Amino acid sequence: MFKTTSKIMLVDDEKDFVEMLSLRLKENEENVIAAYNGQECLDTLEKIQVDVIILDVKMPGMDGIETLKQIKKRHPLVEVILLTGHGTIQSAVEGMKLGAFDFLLKPADFKELTEKLTKAKERRKEQMERIQKAEAAILLRQSKI
Amino acid sequence: MVDQPDVTEDIHILLVDDENDFRQIIAKRLKRRGIEVREADRGEKALQMLEDAPVDVVIMDVKMPGMDGIECLKQIKEKYDLLEVIMLTGHADIHGGVEGIKSGAFDYLSKPIELEHLVRKIKQAFHKIQRILAEKEARAFKEQVQQQMVVAERLVALGTMASGVAHEINNPLAVIQDSAGWLQQILEKPDMQGIPRRDDFNKGLERINKAVKRAGKITQQLLQAVKTQTTEMADPSTFVEVDLKKLSEEAITLVEPEAALKNIVIHLETKEPRLSAWTDSLQLLQVLLNLLSNSIQATEEGGRIIVRLNAAMEEAKIIVKDTGCGISKENISRIFEPFFTTKEADQGTGMGLYVSWGIITGLGGLISVESEVNKGTTFTITLPVKK
Repeated sequence: MFKTTSKIMLVDDEKDFVEMLSLRLKENEENVIAAYNGQECLDTLEKIQVDVIILDVKMPGMDGIETLKQIKKRHPLVEVILLTGHGTIQSAVEGMKLGAFDFLLKPADFKELTEKLTKAKERRKEQMERIQKAEAAILLRQSKI
Repeated sequence: MVDQPDVTEDIHILLVDDENDFRQIIAKRLKRRGIEVREADRGEKALQMLEDAPVDVVIMDVKMPGMDGIECLKQIKEKYDLLEVIMLTGHADIHGGVEGIKSGAFDYLSKPIELEHLVRKIKQAFHKIQRILAEKEARAFKEQVQQQMVVAERLVALGTMASGVAHEINNPLAVIQDSAGWLQQILEKPDMQGIPRRDDFNKGLERINKAVKRAGKITQQLLQAVKTQTTEMADPSTFVEVDLKKLSEEAITLVEPEAALKNIVIHLETKEPRLSAWTDSLQLLQVLLNLLSNSIQATEEGGRIIVRLNAAMEEAKIIVKDTGCGISKENISRIFEPFFTTKEADQGTGMGLYVSWGIITGLGGLISVESEVNKGTTFTITLPVKK
């Protein structure tokens, strides 16, 4: 009935990077899917439920910040971790204000990444549990009437 | 000439004439005016005296036994390009005067001379020397500023290029790091514990990680340096009044343990009771630490480093002077370039002075260097004092 493992989506235009990071996360028993641009990320979100997104800020076409805005608009409960270069650290701050869970500087330390990923997953899980409890409470009240 | 002050005290002259009575009277009267006068009775002796201690103006008779005035004049002008010579000619000997001017004399006077006239000529000659000196200084200053502009332009261009490269390198770097990391993860799995040459795999992967970290650090510093030059320069509203004496003391305290290892003493010298600048204290501290640490590395056991604070009109100067190995002429013009280093590959990235340059430029100041091989190096930071 409930999802046991979280689904993670990795969004970056650098295919090699996405592949390697996916392999590492899978090695850690994570459930990972990939998208190679902002639009693909949004399209996938319509079809599959994702818990945490690791999103590169610098991408051709729709950039990470714009993608983040769209994600939060359509799926406000999805947690987003931004990957940013040193020169674009300003955009990380902007991203946090737009609701990103956290950010990491590229090239990110894997340990740091997994720590932040765990926290993001926890928050998402707690959030979902609260919603389920609230929904259950509503159902309960309705059944009493 | 309007701006000629009526001061004769600083003028040193040499009076050359074989007629002793005449020379002594003139010398005495000139001395009474406060002019420093030395005397010679022959051309050869005049040259000798100039050798010992040069003067500003020479007053010399054209007609002398032995070396005549014209010949002596030629030799003087050849040796001392800033020295002016006023020739004295016999009555109605215009020929000698013209000859003198052709050979580089400032002017000539015909005997008998009127003292007022002579004094006026001496002053004119002296002012000509001062003007030439001032022009020389102005030219040198202009050249220095132009040179600094050329350096700045080149550094900005280099920085733009390098930061572009850094951005592009970050992505493949991340791929390398994660590929190595992935392999390490696999090696840690229980079913991989028994594979042959396990240690060799780990060793290789560890080296890859180390190298990636180093490369990552370089790209970080580079991007930071370029950023401080461009974005933070536009925001002086974050500046605060920084007590330069306190800041220097703080910097010295921080590097003292490093200096103590080599028995190096760091002195702070200042005549100002208090010297402040409107600037960013953390960034300035970073530059000072960098300069001091460089100095310590360049200085021999038991050497000395001096941090001197000077106040000028609207500027504050922080001078870091060491008695270290110095920087060669070929290297000094490249010292602020990114990646320029003379250290071993794993000892320095060559980014320190480039970052420092970026910071000081961003703070609206200047940083310059002077050095002599085996004598030492002096870095000078000039900062605006006012907001």
